[in-house]
Amino acid sequence: MQIFTSGFFWFVQGILFVVILLAVRAWARDRGLPMPPWKWALFLIWLLFAGFTIAFAGTSFGEGEPTAGLRGGLLFGLVTIIGGVGVWRILLAGGGPRGEGIAGDS
Amino acid sequence: MREPEEGDERGEVMGRDKGRIQERGERDHGDADGRCTGEVNRRDFLKLAGLASAAAGGAGLGAFGYAAGKDPNTHLGLQNEYGASLVFNRKRYRVDVPTYEKVGPGSRPDARVEQIFERRGRFMREYMQLRSSQGGMGPITPQHFPEPLQRYYLAHPQDLELDRVNVDELQPLLRADSMEYGDAYILAQAWSSAMGAVGPGPVSGPPEQNDFPRGRGGLPVEPLALKDPVRTAELLKAVAMQFGSTLVGITRLNPDWVYGYPIRGRGFPSTEEPLEIPDWWTYAIVVGTPMSWDPMYANPTYGSSEDAYSRSRIAAARLEAFIKALGYPARIHVPGTSYDLMVPPIAIDAGLGEQGRHGVVITPELGSNFRPAVVTTNIPVATDKPIDIGVDDFCLHCKVCAEACPSGAIPMGGKEEVRGYRRWKIDTAKCQNFWTSNLGNMGCRICVSVCPYTRKANWLHKAAMKVTANDPTGLSERVLTGMHKSFYPGPDPEDYYMPSLGGTSASYRPPPWWLRTEDFIDRGGEG
Repeated sequence: MQIFTSGFFWFVQGILFVVILLAVRAWARDRGLPMPPWKWALFLIWLLFAGFTIAFAGTSFGEGEPTAGLRGGLLFGLVTIIGGVGVWRILLAGGGPRGEGIAGDS
Repeated sequence: MREPEEGDERGEVMGRDKGRIQERGERDHGDADGRCTGEVNRRDFLKLAGLASAAAGGAGLGAFGYAAGKDPNTHLGLQNEYGASLVFNRKRYRVDVPTYEKVGPGSRPDARVEQIFERRGRFMREYMQLRSSQGGMGPITPQHFPEPLQRYYLAHPQDLELDRVNVDELQPLLRADSMEYGDAYILAQAWSSAMGAVGPGPVSGPPEQNDFPRGRGGLPVEPLALKDPVRTAELLKAVAMQFGSTLVGITRLNPDWVYGYPIRGRGFPSTEEPLEIPDWWTYAIVVGTPMSWDPMYANPTYGSSEDAYSRSRIAAARLEAFIKALGYPARIHVPGTSYDLMVPPIAIDAGLGEQGRHGVVITPELGSNFRPAVVTTNIPVATDKPIDIGVDDFCLHCKVCAEACPSGAIPMGGKEEVRGYRRWKIDTAKCQNFWTSNLGNMGCRICVSVCPYTRKANWLHKAAMKVTANDPTGLSERVLTGMHKSFYPGPDPEDYYMPSLGGTSASYRPPPWWLRTEDFIDRGGEG
């Protein structure tokens, strides 16, 4: 398990993070969605919170605190899902027909 | 690198771009007639890769969390002897005055009656004598006791009753329950006993004899000239870490924290003569270590203070020897009861932490899981400032320890004035009566285990601590306290009691595998 607390792990996580961002940019372009900086910020906040939720649950189970893992996971997971729906709708706002828009990248 | 079709204004689809987009679509998805080329285009690949990365990243974070939660290196304070990966940066939390409040003239505590072990020792001797001389005596009153017990019991009649209950009722019950149920804790007691088996011997004489270094033939030693008090502080802290201490702090000794009368076993000719504070007790160097995590989490039955007490004793004794080797006087004040002074307020003055509602010093690194010892000396050394990491405010609202305490010794209300200082006052008589009401190792420590600050030193709890330390609104304290109570429930307080007092001998969390007696020792065919 030591690899998951190593510097190498965070190096890999960084690569995955960049790929996620590139994928979102590609997805937004395909849908013709404008992606101004505030939308990117919103998405990043949601992504970090989703990551926190998963890490919280994992940490709690690792600590031998399953109650915290379940209750916290449910609470934060619910916030992640509701927030995700909200972010999704905001990201889709202002888009043209699929394939006809260009995501702004700054 | 920007692609040609990205040259338009953000969010606008210009006419010229439509053509390019169409062109691009043909390039990416097929030919102009709509026939698929069979190639995976770059964007689709990126989107698939993004989904895969999200899944892998999420799984990785879950695994990271699990590893961080399970990592023994996060068991508070045991990372390495230098504390390099542990020690909290106190710089921005330093304050000029401690977070306890001085509200009147301070006075020194009378250890003979205000130190619970000293008073109970005296009570026991007097009470046994009374019982043997008077046979079936009636109700006892303060007048049955000599000074200073009489004066104390007149002022604190409830403590007389609690002291009597401890001897008359709780101790016989504990003996009976230990006979019937005590086998479950054989390994826990063996472990605790072994942990406490090593340490410095008792102080051999009064300060003027014990504290000073002696050379060959017992001759006094000249102190070495030291260049700089700041460098000396750095030196003493560095070696204290190597001597086994997890945290070190230095302060000028406040006389109010020195007992008015000496405790037995400290080398003073009489415990009835007031303790004159020696001139050379100028500074107090506080060292400290945490209790082992797994037993601590299985308090009150499986846990013990002896492991941390022993480590702190050894570190303090080594530090005393080091200072003496430099030619300066030094004297250890070490747990369990071998002190001439009260350690928690000194640890607070030395910037190691703040007082919690449960009376224990809460440090940023170890939470409440901290057992200190002190070395008094006059070696010229720079002192540390106290810190304010928000514990005082947090404890005001939290009350987790008070709600979990089976004896009711921790106040639910506000602070009280005690000898000129406003602080939370623990009812030590109630507290110690619970020690005699539960099986396993001596003591309790439930307040240490349940404290929200006593969490593993991983990313999650370090972040929570930093949030509360830097939130002036107090909002995070309330939110995190609510989460703590919901996420980390413990047994009902009455369940901690031994069976004859209506409890189930519950522990806060299950014991580690290596303290489960039933898995290792055959007690007549059981299990």
